[in-house]
Amino acid sequence: MTLSPRFTLTLTIVAILFLATIIHILVVLSIPLNVRHSAYDNVATHGPDRQFNLLPDVHPGEEALPDLDPAMKHAACRFQLSDGPVLFDASIPTSFWSIGLFNSAGEAIYSLNNRTAGAERLSMLVLTSPQLSILRENPPENLEDLIVIETGEISGFALLRAYTPDEARADVVDRALQNASCGTIG
Amino acid sequence: MTDTASGTNGTRYGEADWYEQELPRAIRPHRSHPIRTLVLLSIILVSAALIGISSAYLMIEREQPLNAVTIGSWRAYPKAGTSEADPYSVAIYTRGAVIPLASGEGLAMVAREDDRGHLLDPTCIYRISGQTPAARLWTLTVTDGNGRLVETLPGRVHLDSQNLLRETDGTFVINAASRPHSGNWLPLAASANASDGLRFVLRLYDAPVTTGAALDGVSLPVIERQGCP
Repeated sequence: MTLSPRFTLTLTIVAILFLATIIHILVVLSIPLNVRHSAYDNVATHGPDRQFNLLPDVHPGEEALPDLDPAMKHAACRFQLSDGPVLFDASIPTSFWSIGLFNSAGEAIYSLNNRTAGAERLSMLVLTSPQLSILRENPPENLEDLIVIETGEISGFALLRAYTPDEARADVVDRALQNASCGTIG
Repeated sequence: MTDTASGTNGTRYGEADWYEQELPRAIRPHRSHPIRTLVLLSIILVSAALIGISSAYLMIEREQPLNAVTIGSWRAYPKAGTSEADPYSVAIYTRGAVIPLASGEGLAMVAREDDRGHLLDPTCIYRISGQTPAARLWTLTVTDGNGRLVETLPGRVHLDSQNLLRETDGTFVINAASRPHSGNWLPLAASANASDGLRFVLRLYDAPVTTGAALDGVSLPVIERQGCP
């Protein structure tokens, strides 16, 4: 069987588009697997895991992490739940603060701000389901006061954002962020 | 058809005659052209790879995730950075190592165009006026076309709702320009070319509108171009 030139051309174009679509999809899907610096890796460059590391102020040309708000001060903490539950504790004297929990792929797992936290003080416990069952057998006294987040993600990071209205407030907020804890329970 | 093609006579069933143009093309036997086929296949492979990779690159480089909620000049991507994000947002966010504003924190909206649909130009002067959806706090930040902060004359690159002059009815007028302005001045890049691009990022913190559906019908500031040098 011999194909007419026009049919051959049509078939070629269809084949090109079909293959191009497959390649397009493969490329888009493979980008997240091949990034050199994920947000999770970047957070580690600012200090050790399992403690809140104050990120430098957001200034042009020296942004600690991409896409941060220059009106805020930030502190980040990276954790692995395989080392045990993480207890977040902070008291930040500012009119707005928020904390976001992200998994190692940079997807938001949980977030809250100082209004939804229901208290001036942030006290949040992040753990896996087995860890929660163990904890329930012998609950610590203050478990009632904690915000308990059960997650299936083993590794992740938290980003604490605190609004700094003016320079006068900056030191206080800085100190509060440095004193924020991202440690173990008990 | 001739008897050559019908092949009734075995002695005349010659190969030399077989390729004569007497048969309809569709049933003419195939004569292989290995070089031609190879060239065609490589053209298909190479151009498919080129189109596939470059279209993926353009989609990602544009940094505009799908599932945008558009209000006036402003776009928000409430689903980006969550587990429900589409593959393009996932690629854009992970490639840029962007930590999104989670829904419990607030909502970021980005403007790349003015109210007439022209791309924002850092050498122009813009008037941003109106009101924002209810939020406990909001900030308005200037970035270049790649989302990076830029050097400005006063060193400040943002305005926030707590340090803002407002009209008696709660609306506000912000002048965005590289040179100082009276009133609410949002400094643009001190030295910029039109090709650097400009984006305004409006971050609404602790706002009820962090879900996409609630965004319908809210009013956002209007960005008008006042003049360009």
